[in-house]
Amino acid sequence: MLLGFAVVKANDKQFNTIPEPCENHYHILGFDDDFCDTCGCGSSGGSMGYGTGLNDNFIGIRYIHQQYRSRDGIFNDSPWIKENFNTIQAWGNIPVSDRLLINTIVPFQFHNRIFPDNTEQHISGLGDVSILAFYNVLKVKPDSIVSIKPEHYLQIGGGLKLPTGSYDQENNEGSVNPSFQLGNGSLDYVLGLNYGFSYRNWGISTMLNYAIKTENPDNYQFGNQFNYSINAYKTYYLSNSFSVTPIAGLAGEVYGENQEYNLPVADTKGDLFLGKLSLEASLNNYSLGVVAMAPISQNLNGNKVELKNRTSIYLNINF
Amino acid sequence: MKNFKIALMAIFSTIIISCDNNDDDTSSLTGTGTVSVTFDNGYDGNDLILDVENSENENDESLTVSRFSYIVSNFSLIDEEGNEYIFPKDDSYFIINQEEGLEDVELSDIPAGTYTTLKFGVGVDDEKYQEGGEIQEEFWELAEANNLTWSWTAGYKYINYEGTFTSETITEATDYTIHLGRLGDQVNYEEVTLNLDTNITVSDEMDSNIHLEVDASKILTAVTSIELTEKATLMTDAEKAPLIAENASEMFVVDHVHNGSGH
Repeated sequence: MLLGFAVVKANDKQFNTIPEPCENHYHILGFDDDFCDTCGCGSSGGSMGYGTGLNDNFIGIRYIHQQYRSRDGIFNDSPWIKENFNTIQAWGNIPVSDRLLINTIVPFQFHNRIFPDNTEQHISGLGDVSILAFYNVLKVKPDSIVSIKPEHYLQIGGGLKLPTGSYDQENNEGSVNPSFQLGNGSLDYVLGLNYGFSYRNWGISTMLNYAIKTENPDNYQFGNQFNYSINAYKTYYLSNSFSVTPIAGLAGEVYGENQEYNLPVADTKGDLFLGKLSLEASLNNYSLGVVAMAPISQNLNGNKVELKNRTSIYLNINF
Repeated sequence: MKNFKIALMAIFSTIIISCDNNDDDTSSLTGTGTVSVTFDNGYDGNDLILDVENSENENDESLTVSRFSYIVSNFSLIDEEGNEYIFPKDDSYFIINQEEGLEDVELSDIPAGTYTTLKFGVGVDDEKYQEGGEIQEEFWELAEANNLTWSWTAGYKYINYEGTFTSETITEATDYTIHLGRLGDQVNYEEVTLNLDTNITVSDEMDSNIHLEVDASKILTAVTSIELTEKATLMTDAEKAPLIAENASEMFVVDHVHNGSGH
Protein backbone atom coordinates (compact mmCIF):
# COMPACT_ATOMS: atom_id res chain seq x y z
CA MET A 1 0.00 0.00 0.00
CA LEU A 2 2.73 2.43 0.98
CA LEU A 3 4.57 1.57 -2.14
CA GLY A 4 1.55 2.39 -4.21
CA PHE A 5 1.19 5.82 -2.77
CA ALA A 6 4.87 6.43 -2.92
CA VAL A 7 4.66 5.97 -6.63
CA VAL A 8 1.70 8.25 -6.85
CA LYS A 9 3.40 11.02 -4.97
CA ALA A 10 6.63 10.85 -6.81
CA ASN A 11 7.71 13.39 -9.32
CA ASP A 12 5.08 16.08 -9.25
CA LYS A 13 7.04 18.31 -11.55
CA GLN A 14 5.97 16.13 -14.43
CA PHE A 15 2.85 18.26 -14.49
CA ASN A 16 4.79 20.94 -16.21
CA THR A 17 5.71 18.74 -19.04
CA ILE A 18 2.37 17.18 -19.80
CA PRO A 19 2.03 17.16 -23.52
CA GLU A 20 -1.07 17.65 -25.55
CA PRO A 21 -3.94 15.58 -24.30
CA CYS A 22 -3.05 12.12 -25.12
CA GLU A 23 -5.80 9.72 -25.89
CA ASN A 24 -3.70 6.86 -24.81
CA HIS A 25 -3.71 8.18 -21.35
CA TYR A 26 -7.10 6.65 -20.93
CA HIS A 27 -6.40 3.62 -22.95
CA ILE A 28 -3.38 1.90 -21.77
CA LEU A 29 -4.32 0.90 -18.32
CA GLY A 30 -5.21 -2.66 -18.99
CA PHE A 31 -3.40 -3.58 -15.86
CA ASP A 32 -6.51 -4.20 -13.87
CA ASP A 33 -6.33 -7.65 -15.29
CA ASP A 34 -4.16 -8.86 -12.49
CA PHE A 35 -5.61 -12.22 -12.37
CA CYS A 36 -4.82 -15.12 -14.46
CA ASP A 37 -7.18 -17.64 -15.77
CA THR A 38 -4.46 -20.19 -15.65
CA CYS A 39 -6.99 -22.81 -15.49
CA GLY A 40 -9.80 -21.04 -13.87
CA CYS A 41 -9.88 -23.70 -11.30
CA GLY A 42 -9.55 -23.92 -7.61
CA SER A 43 -6.62 -22.32 -6.04
CA SER A 44 -4.19 -22.23 -8.86
CA GLY A 45 -4.72 -18.63 -9.60
CA GLY A 46 -7.78 -19.53 -11.44
CA SER A 47 -8.97 -16.01 -11.08
CA MET A 48 -9.22 -13.62 -13.93
CA GLY A 49 -9.46 -9.94 -13.90
CA TYR A 50 -12.22 -8.82 -16.09
CA GLY A 51 -11.42 -5.32 -15.08
CA THR A 52 -10.49 -3.23 -17.99
CA GLY A 53 -9.10 -0.19 -16.33
CA LEU A 54 -10.45 2.86 -17.95
CA ASN A 55 -12.80 2.76 -20.84
CA ASP A 56 -10.19 1.50 -23.14
CA ASN A 57 -10.77 -0.57 -26.18
CA PHE A 58 -7.95 -2.83 -27.11
CA ILE A 59 -6.91 -6.14 -28.43
CA GLY A 60 -3.74 -7.77 -27.32
CA ILE A 61 -1.75 -10.76 -26.37
CA ARG A 62 -0.54 -11.66 -22.90
CA TYR A 63 1.78 -14.28 -21.47
CA ILE A 64 1.37 -15.32 -17.84
CA HIS A 65 3.74 -17.51 -15.88
CA GLN A 66 2.87 -18.83 -12.45
CA GLN A 67 4.98 -20.97 -10.19
CA TYR A 68 3.38 -23.10 -7.54
CA ARG A 69 4.42 -26.02 -5.43
CA SER A 70 2.22 -28.62 -3.78
CA ARG A 71 2.82 -31.40 -1.29
CA ASP A 72 3.19 -34.89 -2.66
CA GLY A 73 1.61 -36.57 0.31
CA ILE A 74 -0.21 -35.84 3.52
CA PHE A 75 2.68 -35.31 5.90
CA ASN A 76 4.39 -32.17 7.15
CA ASP A 77 7.61 -33.28 5.50
CA SER A 78 6.09 -34.74 2.35
CA PRO A 79 8.17 -33.68 -0.66
CA TRP A 80 7.05 -30.88 -2.97
CA ILE A 81 5.82 -31.12 -6.52
CA LYS A 82 6.96 -28.13 -8.60
CA GLU A 83 4.28 -26.73 -10.84
CA ASN A 84 4.56 -24.25 -13.67
CA PHE A 85 1.43 -22.78 -15.16
CA ASN A 86 1.89 -20.98 -18.47
CA THR A 87 -0.80 -19.16 -20.35
CA ILE A 88 -0.78 -17.26 -23.60
CA GLN A 89 -3.98 -15.44 -24.17
CA ALA A 90 -5.56 -13.29 -26.80
CA TRP A 91 -7.72 -10.73 -25.09
CA GLY A 92 -9.60 -7.64 -25.92
CA ASN A 93 -12.22 -5.08 -25.08
CA ILE A 94 -14.48 -4.44 -28.02
CA PRO A 95 -17.02 -1.64 -27.88
CA VAL A 96 -20.54 -2.50 -28.92
CA SER A 97 -22.09 0.86 -28.19
CA ASP A 98 -21.18 4.03 -26.40
CA ARG A 99 -21.85 2.45 -23.02
CA LEU A 100 -21.41 -1.24 -23.65
CA LEU A 101 -18.30 -3.25 -24.29
CA ILE A 102 -17.52 -6.90 -24.68
CA ASN A 103 -14.49 -8.34 -22.92
CA THR A 104 -13.17 -11.63 -24.15
CA ILE A 105 -10.21 -13.81 -23.24
CA VAL A 106 -9.08 -16.82 -25.25
CA PRO A 107 -6.32 -18.63 -23.35
CA PHE A 108 -3.92 -21.29 -24.48
CA GLN A 109 -2.40 -23.22 -21.60
CA PHE A 110 0.80 -25.20 -21.32
CA HIS A 111 1.50 -26.44 -17.82
CA ASN A 112 4.02 -28.82 -16.38
CA ARG A 113 4.83 -30.31 -13.02
CA ILE A 114 7.89 -32.07 -11.72
CA PHE A 115 7.40 -34.80 -9.16
CA PRO A 116 9.90 -35.54 -6.40
CA ASP A 117 11.25 -38.50 -8.38
CA ASN A 118 12.00 -36.03 -11.21
CA THR A 119 9.36 -37.38 -13.55
CA GLU A 120 7.47 -34.69 -15.40
CA GLN A 121 3.96 -34.26 -16.62
CA HIS A 122 2.93 -31.81 -19.32
CA ILE A 123 -0.53 -30.73 -20.33
CA SER A 124 -1.40 -28.19 -22.99
CA GLY A 125 -4.34 -26.95 -24.95
CA LEU A 126 -7.10 -24.40 -25.12
CA GLY A 127 -8.21 -23.09 -21.74
CA ASP A 128 -11.60 -21.75 -20.72
CA VAL A 129 -12.75 -18.95 -23.01
CA SER A 130 -14.58 -16.16 -21.24
CA ILE A 131 -16.96 -13.62 -22.67
CA LEU A 132 -18.27 -10.78 -20.57
CA ALA A 133 -20.27 -7.66 -21.19
CA PHE A 134 -19.53 -4.50 -19.24
CA TYR A 135 -21.79 -1.53 -18.95
CA ASN A 136 -20.22 1.88 -18.37
CA VAL A 137 -22.25 3.42 -15.60
CA LEU A 138 -19.78 6.26 -15.22
CA LYS A 139 -17.43 7.01 -17.99
CA VAL A 140 -14.29 9.07 -18.30
CA LYS A 141 -14.65 11.52 -21.13
CA PRO A 142 -12.29 10.15 -23.68
CA ASP A 143 -11.46 13.44 -25.32
CA SER A 144 -10.99 15.54 -22.23
CA ILE A 145 -7.92 17.54 -21.65
CA VAL A 146 -6.12 16.20 -18.63
CA SER A 147 -8.73 17.35 -16.22
CA ILE A 148 -8.42 19.51 -13.17
CA LYS A 149 -11.20 17.53 -11.53
CA PRO A 150 -10.86 13.84 -10.74
CA GLU A 151 -12.45 11.70 -13.40
CA HIS A 152 -14.36 8.67 -12.19
CA TYR A 153 -15.34 5.56 -14.01
CA LEU A 154 -17.57 2.67 -13.00
CA GLN A 155 -18.30 -0.44 -14.98
CA ILE A 156 -20.51 -3.34 -14.04
CA GLY A 157 -20.79 -6.48 -16.01
CA GLY A 158 -21.07 -10.17 -16.17
CA GLY A 159 -20.76 -13.08 -18.44
CA LEU A 160 -19.73 -16.63 -18.95
CA LYS A 161 -16.65 -18.74 -18.71
CA LEU A 162 -17.10 -21.56 -21.16
CA PRO A 163 -15.89 -25.13 -20.61
CA THR A 164 -13.57 -25.04 -23.59
CA GLY A 165 -10.54 -26.20 -21.60
CA SER A 166 -10.48 -29.89 -20.92
CA TYR A 167 -10.77 -31.21 -17.38
CA ASP A 168 -9.08 -34.55 -16.78
CA GLN A 169 -10.15 -36.34 -13.64
CA GLU A 170 -6.94 -38.33 -13.56
CA ASN A 171 -4.88 -35.19 -13.00
CA ASN A 172 -6.75 -34.86 -9.77
CA GLU A 173 -5.86 -38.19 -8.30
CA GLY A 174 -2.80 -38.70 -6.19
CA SER A 175 -2.29 -34.97 -6.04
CA VAL A 176 -3.25 -32.35 -3.55
CA ASN A 177 -3.50 -29.56 -6.11
CA PRO A 178 -6.84 -30.00 -7.83
CA SER A 179 -6.08 -27.16 -10.21
CA PHE A 180 -3.55 -28.80 -12.49
CA GLN A 181 -6.02 -28.67 -15.35
CA LEU A 182 -6.55 -26.83 -18.60
CA GLY A 183 -10.04 -25.87 -17.58
CA ASN A 184 -12.79 -26.31 -15.03
CA GLY A 185 -14.88 -28.43 -17.31
CA SER A 186 -17.88 -26.44 -16.16
CA LEU A 187 -19.91 -23.52 -17.41
CA ASP A 188 -19.21 -20.73 -14.94
CA TYR A 189 -20.85 -17.37 -14.39
CA VAL A 190 -18.93 -14.25 -13.65
CA LEU A 191 -19.98 -10.93 -12.18
CA GLY A 192 -17.58 -8.00 -12.27
CA LEU A 193 -17.25 -4.43 -11.14
CA ASN A 194 -14.51 -1.94 -11.97
CA TYR A 195 -14.17 1.43 -10.36
CA GLY A 196 -11.43 3.99 -10.48
CA PHE A 197 -10.55 7.58 -10.77
CA SER A 198 -7.78 9.59 -12.25
CA TYR A 199 -6.55 12.99 -11.30
CA ARG A 200 -4.15 14.77 -13.56
CA ASN A 201 -1.71 12.05 -14.52
CA TRP A 202 -2.18 9.72 -11.61
CA GLY A 203 -4.95 7.42 -10.65
CA ILE A 204 -6.42 4.61 -8.64
CA SER A 205 -8.22 1.65 -10.07
CA THR A 206 -10.09 -1.07 -8.25
CA MET A 207 -11.73 -4.26 -9.32
CA LEU A 208 -14.06 -6.86 -7.83
CA ASN A 209 -15.30 -10.00 -9.44
CA TYR A 210 -17.07 -13.12 -8.39
CA ALA A 211 -17.13 -16.41 -10.26
CA ILE A 212 -19.98 -18.82 -9.66
CA LYS A 213 -18.86 -22.29 -10.66
CA THR A 214 -21.04 -25.22 -11.52
CA GLU A 215 -20.61 -28.97 -11.44
CA ASN A 216 -18.72 -30.38 -14.40
CA PRO A 217 -19.61 -33.63 -16.21
CA ASP A 218 -17.13 -35.51 -14.00
CA ASN A 219 -19.21 -34.51 -10.96
CA TYR A 220 -16.49 -32.17 -9.76
CA GLN A 221 -17.33 -28.63 -8.81
CA PHE A 222 -14.72 -26.00 -8.12
CA GLY A 223 -15.54 -23.59 -5.32
CA ASN A 224 -16.78 -20.12 -6.09
CA GLN A 225 -14.13 -17.50 -6.26
CA PHE A 226 -13.93 -13.86 -5.20
CA ASN A 227 -11.18 -11.60 -6.52
CA TYR A 228 -10.33 -8.03 -5.73
CA SER A 229 -7.55 -5.60 -6.45
CA ILE A 230 -6.49 -2.02 -6.03
CA ASN A 231 -3.81 -0.27 -8.04
CA ALA A 232 -2.18 3.12 -7.93
CA TYR A 233 -0.37 4.50 -10.92
CA LYS A 234 1.19 7.56 -12.38
CA THR A 235 1.84 8.26 -16.01
CA TYR A 236 4.96 10.06 -17.12
CA TYR A 237 4.87 11.59 -20.58
CA LEU A 238 8.27 11.43 -22.09
CA SER A 239 7.16 12.76 -25.45
CA ASN A 240 3.95 13.35 -27.36
CA SER A 241 3.70 9.74 -28.33
CA PHE A 242 5.56 7.97 -25.58
CA SER A 243 4.64 7.49 -21.95
CA VAL A 244 5.60 5.26 -19.09
CA THR A 245 3.31 4.22 -16.22
CA PRO A 246 4.61 2.55 -13.08
CA ILE A 247 1.91 0.75 -11.15
CA ALA A 248 1.82 -0.67 -7.64
CA GLY A 249 -1.02 -2.62 -6.25
CA LEU A 250 -2.52 -5.20 -3.96
CA ALA A 251 -4.75 -8.06 -4.92
CA GLY A 252 -6.56 -10.88 -3.23
CA GLU A 253 -8.37 -14.06 -4.07
CA VAL A 254 -10.72 -16.10 -1.92
CA TYR A 255 -11.66 -19.63 -2.91
CA GLY A 256 -14.64 -21.64 -1.75
CA GLU A 257 -14.52 -25.35 -1.09
CA ASN A 258 -14.60 -27.74 -4.03
CA GLN A 259 -17.17 -30.49 -4.19
CA GLU A 260 -17.16 -33.97 -5.59
CA TYR A 261 -20.55 -35.62 -6.03
CA ASN A 262 -22.00 -32.76 -3.98
CA LEU A 263 -19.73 -33.66 -1.08
CA PRO A 264 -17.01 -31.30 0.11
CA VAL A 265 -13.40 -32.05 -0.81
CA ALA A 266 -11.08 -31.45 2.13
CA ASP A 267 -8.32 -28.87 1.84
CA THR A 268 -9.63 -27.08 -1.22
CA LYS A 269 -10.64 -23.67 0.06
CA GLY A 270 -8.23 -20.90 0.75
CA ASP A 271 -7.14 -17.37 0.22
CA LEU A 272 -4.29 -15.47 -1.27
CA PHE A 273 -3.10 -11.88 -0.87
CA LEU A 274 -0.58 -10.47 -3.31
CA GLY A 275 1.56 -7.45 -3.89
CA LYS A 276 2.17 -6.21 -7.37
CA LEU A 277 4.62 -4.05 -9.25
CA SER A 278 4.18 -3.29 -12.88
CA LEU A 279 5.41 -1.03 -15.61
CA GLU A 280 3.63 -0.13 -18.81
CA ALA A 281 5.18 1.71 -21.72
CA SER A 282 3.01 3.21 -24.42
CA LEU A 283 4.00 4.33 -27.86
CA ASN A 284 1.20 5.73 -29.98
CA ASN A 285 -1.46 3.05 -29.90
CA TYR A 286 0.75 0.30 -28.60
CA SER A 287 1.33 -0.57 -25.00
CA LEU A 288 3.79 -3.02 -23.61
CA GLY A 289 3.55 -4.08 -19.98
CA VAL A 290 5.39 -6.24 -17.52
CA VAL A 291 3.87 -7.37 -14.23
CA ALA A 292 5.40 -9.10 -11.24
CA MET A 293 3.30 -10.38 -8.36
CA ALA A 294 4.37 -12.07 -5.16
CA PRO A 295 2.28 -13.45 -2.30
CA ILE A 296 2.15 -11.41 0.90
CA SER A 297 0.10 -14.02 2.68
CA GLN A 298 -1.53 -17.23 1.58
CA ASN A 299 -3.45 -20.17 2.89
CA LEU A 300 -4.22 -22.46 0.01
CA ASN A 301 -5.43 -26.04 0.25
CA GLY A 302 -4.60 -26.37 3.93
CA ASN A 303 -1.14 -24.95 3.17
CA LYS A 304 -0.44 -27.93 0.95
CA VAL A 305 -0.27 -25.68 -2.10
CA GLU A 306 1.90 -22.57 -2.28
CA LEU A 307 2.13 -19.86 -4.87
CA LYS A 308 5.70 -18.76 -5.45
CA ASN A 309 5.16 -15.92 -7.91
CA ARG A 310 3.36 -14.69 -10.99
CA THR A 311 4.79 -12.75 -13.84
CA SER A 312 3.27 -11.57 -17.05
CA ILE A 313 4.04 -9.57 -20.13
CA TYR A 314 1.54 -8.15 -22.59
CA LEU A 315 1.33 -6.18 -25.78
CA ASN A 316 -1.90 -4.37 -26.56
CA ILE A 317 -3.11 -2.32 -29.47
CA ASN A 318 -5.49 0.38 -28.33
CA PHE A 319 -8.17 1.79 -30.54
CA MET B 1 -30.66 2.98 -21.77
CA LYS B 2 -33.03 2.33 -18.88
CA ASN B 3 -34.29 -0.72 -20.71
CA PHE B 4 -30.79 -1.93 -21.04
CA LYS B 5 -30.16 -1.62 -17.32
CA ILE B 6 -33.30 -3.57 -16.60
CA ALA B 7 -32.23 -6.23 -19.05
CA LEU B 8 -28.83 -6.45 -17.42
CA MET B 9 -30.35 -6.84 -13.97
CA ALA B 10 -32.63 -9.52 -15.32
CA ILE B 11 -29.69 -11.41 -16.72
CA PHE B 12 -27.86 -11.25 -13.38
CA SER B 13 -30.90 -12.37 -11.48
CA THR B 14 -31.37 -15.31 -13.77
CA ILE B 15 -27.76 -16.30 -13.38
CA ILE B 16 -27.88 -16.10 -9.60
CA ILE B 17 -31.15 -17.98 -9.32
CA SER B 18 -30.17 -20.67 -11.77
CA CYS B 19 -26.90 -21.25 -9.95
CA ASP B 20 -28.54 -21.86 -6.64
CA ASN B 21 -29.40 -25.47 -7.29
CA ASN B 22 -27.53 -27.43 -4.69
CA ASP B 23 -29.53 -30.55 -5.27
CA ASP B 24 -28.36 -33.50 -3.27
CA ASP B 25 -29.78 -36.63 -4.80
CA THR B 26 -27.70 -39.22 -2.99
CA SER B 27 -30.92 -40.98 -2.00
CA SER B 28 -31.04 -42.52 -5.45
CA LEU B 29 -27.81 -44.49 -4.98
CA THR B 30 -28.15 -48.03 -6.21
CA GLY B 31 -26.07 -51.18 -6.47
CA THR B 32 -22.70 -51.65 -4.81
CA GLY B 33 -19.26 -50.08 -4.87
CA THR B 34 -15.80 -50.47 -3.44
CA VAL B 35 -14.47 -48.59 -0.47
CA SER B 36 -10.70 -48.55 -0.17
CA VAL B 37 -8.93 -47.54 2.99
CA THR B 38 -5.38 -46.22 2.75
CA PHE B 39 -3.18 -46.61 5.84
CA ASP B 40 -0.54 -43.92 5.26
CA ASN B 41 2.10 -44.54 7.91
CA GLY B 42 3.73 -41.52 9.47
CA TYR B 43 5.56 -40.51 12.60
CA ASP B 44 4.44 -37.50 14.59
CA GLY B 45 3.21 -35.56 11.55
CA ASN B 46 6.07 -36.53 9.28
CA ASP B 47 6.26 -39.38 6.82
CA LEU B 48 7.54 -42.63 8.28
CA ILE B 49 10.74 -43.53 6.48
CA LEU B 50 12.34 -46.75 7.63
CA ASP B 51 15.90 -46.63 8.92
CA VAL B 52 15.83 -42.85 9.25
CA GLU B 53 15.83 -41.34 12.73
CA ASN B 54 12.62 -39.59 13.73
CA SER B 55 12.18 -36.55 15.91
CA GLU B 56 12.22 -37.06 19.66
CA ASN B 57 8.94 -38.27 21.10
CA GLU B 58 7.17 -37.12 24.26
CA ASN B 59 9.30 -39.51 26.31
CA ASP B 60 12.47 -37.80 25.05
CA GLU B 61 13.39 -40.88 23.05
CA SER B 62 14.44 -40.84 19.39
CA LEU B 63 13.39 -43.86 17.37
CA THR B 64 14.76 -45.18 14.13
CA VAL B 65 12.11 -47.55 12.86
CA SER B 66 13.23 -50.50 10.77
CA ARG B 67 9.99 -52.47 10.66
CA PHE B 68 6.38 -51.47 11.02
CA SER B 69 3.63 -53.91 10.12
CA TYR B 70 0.24 -54.68 11.60
CA ILE B 71 -3.02 -56.52 11.13
CA VAL B 72 -6.29 -54.64 10.65
CA SER B 73 -9.56 -56.53 10.64
CA ASN B 74 -13.33 -56.70 11.04
CA PHE B 75 -14.19 -53.65 8.96
CA SER B 76 -17.62 -52.11 9.10
CA LEU B 77 -19.27 -48.93 7.88
CA ILE B 78 -22.10 -47.01 9.50
CA ASP B 79 -24.49 -45.13 7.25
CA GLU B 80 -26.39 -41.88 7.77
CA GLU B 81 -29.30 -43.68 9.44
CA GLY B 82 -26.99 -45.44 11.87
CA ASN B 83 -27.19 -48.84 10.20
CA GLU B 84 -23.96 -50.78 10.36
CA TYR B 85 -22.77 -52.75 7.35
CA ILE B 86 -20.35 -55.43 8.51
CA PHE B 87 -17.92 -56.56 5.85
CA PRO B 88 -17.90 -60.41 5.61
CA LYS B 89 -15.68 -61.59 8.45
CA ASP B 90 -13.85 -64.25 6.47
CA ASP B 91 -12.57 -61.61 4.06
CA SER B 92 -12.00 -58.94 6.65
CA TYR B 93 -8.37 -59.51 7.66
CA PHE B 94 -5.64 -57.38 6.10
CA ILE B 95 -1.96 -56.66 6.53
CA ILE B 96 -0.31 -53.27 6.41
CA ASN B 97 3.45 -53.46 5.95
CA GLN B 98 5.69 -50.44 5.62
CA GLU B 99 8.65 -52.50 4.33
CA GLU B 100 6.57 -53.99 1.52
CA GLY B 101 4.53 -50.90 0.80
CA LEU B 102 1.27 -52.65 1.69
CA GLU B 103 -1.02 -49.80 2.67
CA ASP B 104 -4.40 -50.34 1.04
CA VAL B 105 -7.41 -52.30 2.17
CA GLU B 106 -10.10 -52.93 -0.46
CA LEU B 107 -13.64 -53.53 0.67
CA SER B 108 -15.65 -54.54 -2.37
CA ASP B 109 -19.41 -55.00 -2.83
CA ILE B 110 -20.33 -52.39 -0.25
CA PRO B 111 -24.08 -51.65 -0.59
CA ALA B 112 -24.92 -48.27 -2.09
CA GLY B 113 -25.31 -45.55 0.48
CA THR B 114 -23.79 -42.65 2.31
CA TYR B 115 -21.52 -43.62 5.16
CA THR B 116 -20.41 -41.51 8.08
CA THR B 117 -18.24 -43.81 10.19
CA LEU B 118 -15.55 -46.44 9.69
CA LYS B 119 -14.87 -49.16 12.23
CA PHE B 120 -12.15 -51.77 12.32
CA GLY B 121 -9.97 -53.66 14.75
CA VAL B 122 -6.23 -53.88 15.32
CA GLY B 123 -5.17 -57.50 15.49
CA VAL B 124 -7.14 -60.72 15.55
CA ASP B 125 -10.19 -61.08 17.74
CA ASP B 126 -10.93 -64.06 19.92
CA GLU B 127 -13.62 -65.45 17.59
CA LYS B 128 -11.24 -65.64 14.67
CA TYR B 129 -8.50 -67.12 16.83
CA GLN B 130 -10.84 -69.84 18.12
CA GLU B 131 -11.75 -70.89 14.57
CA GLY B 132 -8.58 -72.90 14.47
CA GLY B 133 -5.88 -73.35 11.91
CA GLU B 134 -7.52 -74.96 8.92
CA ILE B 135 -10.01 -72.20 8.22
CA GLN B 136 -7.48 -69.44 8.38
CA GLU B 137 -4.51 -71.17 6.82
CA GLU B 138 -4.33 -68.70 3.97
CA PHE B 139 -4.27 -65.64 6.20
CA TRP B 140 -1.83 -67.32 8.58
CA GLU B 141 0.62 -67.86 5.73
CA LEU B 142 0.22 -64.28 4.60
CA ALA B 143 0.85 -63.06 8.15
CA GLU B 144 3.85 -65.33 8.44
CA ALA B 145 5.31 -63.87 5.25
CA ASN B 146 4.96 -60.42 6.80
CA ASN B 147 6.59 -61.27 10.13
CA LEU B 148 3.30 -61.17 11.94
CA THR B 149 3.20 -64.61 13.56
CA TRP B 150 4.70 -66.43 16.49
CA SER B 151 4.04 -70.14 16.72
CA TRP B 152 0.53 -71.37 16.03
CA THR B 153 -0.36 -71.70 19.70
CA ALA B 154 1.05 -68.31 20.56
CA GLY B 155 -0.79 -66.88 17.57
CA TYR B 156 -0.46 -63.74 15.53
CA LYS B 157 1.62 -60.67 16.13
CA TYR B 158 -0.90 -57.87 15.71
CA ILE B 159 1.82 -55.28 15.48
CA ASN B 160 5.50 -55.72 14.68
CA TYR B 161 7.32 -52.51 15.46
CA GLU B 162 11.11 -52.72 15.57
CA GLY B 163 14.16 -50.53 15.30
CA THR B 164 16.65 -48.70 17.45
CA PHE B 165 16.37 -45.81 19.85
CA THR B 166 18.40 -43.39 21.88
CA SER B 167 17.48 -41.43 24.96
CA GLU B 168 19.12 -39.19 27.52
CA THR B 169 20.58 -42.15 29.37
CA ILE B 170 20.96 -44.54 26.44
CA THR B 171 23.10 -42.63 23.98
CA GLU B 172 24.18 -45.57 21.83
CA ALA B 173 21.56 -46.72 19.32
CA THR B 174 19.94 -49.70 21.03
CA ASP B 175 17.51 -52.23 19.56
CA TYR B 176 13.90 -52.14 20.57
CA THR B 177 11.26 -54.75 19.76
CA ILE B 178 7.54 -54.32 20.18
CA HIS B 179 5.46 -57.34 19.26
CA LEU B 180 1.87 -57.01 20.31
CA GLY B 181 -0.36 -60.06 20.35
CA ARG B 182 -2.51 -62.37 22.34
CA LEU B 183 -1.06 -63.53 25.67
CA GLY B 184 -3.02 -66.58 26.80
CA ASP B 185 -6.52 -65.37 27.62
CA GLN B 186 -5.50 -61.77 27.30
CA VAL B 187 -6.70 -61.01 23.76
CA ASN B 188 -5.32 -57.45 23.39
CA TYR B 189 -7.52 -56.86 20.35
CA GLU B 190 -8.73 -53.26 20.14
CA GLU B 191 -11.49 -51.66 18.11
CA VAL B 192 -11.15 -48.34 16.37
CA THR B 193 -14.07 -46.07 15.45
CA LEU B 194 -13.42 -43.13 13.15
CA ASN B 195 -15.97 -40.51 12.18
CA LEU B 196 -15.42 -39.33 8.63
CA ASP B 197 -15.05 -35.58 8.31
CA THR B 198 -16.75 -35.85 4.93
CA ASN B 199 -19.24 -38.63 4.27
CA ILE B 200 -18.43 -41.18 1.62
CA THR B 201 -20.90 -42.32 -0.99
CA VAL B 202 -20.98 -45.69 -2.66
CA SER B 203 -23.00 -46.94 -5.63
CA ASP B 204 -22.64 -48.68 -8.97
CA GLU B 205 -21.18 -45.44 -10.30
CA MET B 206 -19.08 -44.47 -7.32
CA ASP B 207 -16.18 -45.93 -5.41
CA SER B 208 -14.68 -44.08 -2.49
CA ASN B 209 -11.42 -43.91 -0.64
CA ILE B 210 -10.73 -43.16 3.00
CA HIS B 211 -7.19 -41.91 3.53
CA LEU B 212 -5.94 -42.49 7.08
CA GLU B 213 -2.89 -40.92 8.59
CA VAL B 214 -1.26 -43.44 10.93
CA ASP B 215 1.06 -42.02 13.57
CA ALA B 216 3.45 -44.78 14.68
CA SER B 217 4.83 -42.61 17.47
CA LYS B 218 1.50 -42.97 19.27
CA ILE B 219 2.25 -46.62 20.10
CA LEU B 220 4.48 -45.44 22.92
CA THR B 221 2.76 -42.19 23.81
CA ALA B 222 -0.95 -41.90 22.97
CA VAL B 223 -2.64 -42.74 26.27
CA THR B 224 0.04 -44.24 28.50
CA SER B 225 3.71 -43.36 28.22
CA ILE B 226 5.80 -46.42 27.63
CA GLU B 227 9.51 -45.79 27.91
CA LEU B 228 11.92 -47.94 25.96
CA THR B 229 14.67 -46.74 28.27
CA GLU B 230 12.95 -48.69 31.00
CA LYS B 231 12.39 -51.80 28.87
CA ALA B 232 13.20 -52.13 25.19
CA THR B 233 11.86 -55.59 24.44
CA LEU B 234 8.11 -55.72 24.81
CA MET B 235 6.76 -59.03 23.57
CA THR B 236 5.16 -60.99 26.35
CA ASP B 237 4.69 -58.33 28.96
CA ALA B 238 1.17 -58.97 30.23
CA GLU B 239 1.20 -55.69 32.09
CA LYS B 240 2.24 -53.47 29.22
CA ALA B 241 0.67 -55.29 26.27
CA PRO B 242 -2.87 -53.98 26.94
CA LEU B 243 -1.47 -50.48 27.30
CA ILE B 244 0.34 -50.77 23.97
CA ALA B 245 -2.84 -52.10 22.39
CA GLU B 246 -4.78 -49.14 23.73
CA ASN B 247 -2.11 -46.68 22.57
CA ALA B 248 -2.03 -48.25 19.10
CA SER B 249 -5.78 -47.97 18.71
CA GLU B 250 -5.30 -44.19 18.94
CA MET B 251 -2.82 -43.92 16.08
CA PHE B 252 -5.39 -43.66 13.28
CA VAL B 253 -6.77 -40.33 12.06
CA VAL B 254 -8.85 -39.65 8.96
CA ASP B 255 -6.83 -37.28 6.79
CA HIS B 256 -9.32 -36.97 3.95
CA VAL B 257 -11.70 -38.93 1.78
CA HIS B 258 -12.20 -39.17 -1.98
CA ASN B 259 -15.62 -39.63 -3.42
CA GLY B 260 -16.28 -41.08 -6.82
CA SER B 261 -12.70 -42.04 -7.53
CA GLY B 262 -13.08 -45.06 -9.69
CA HIS B 263 -15.55 -47.16 -11.67
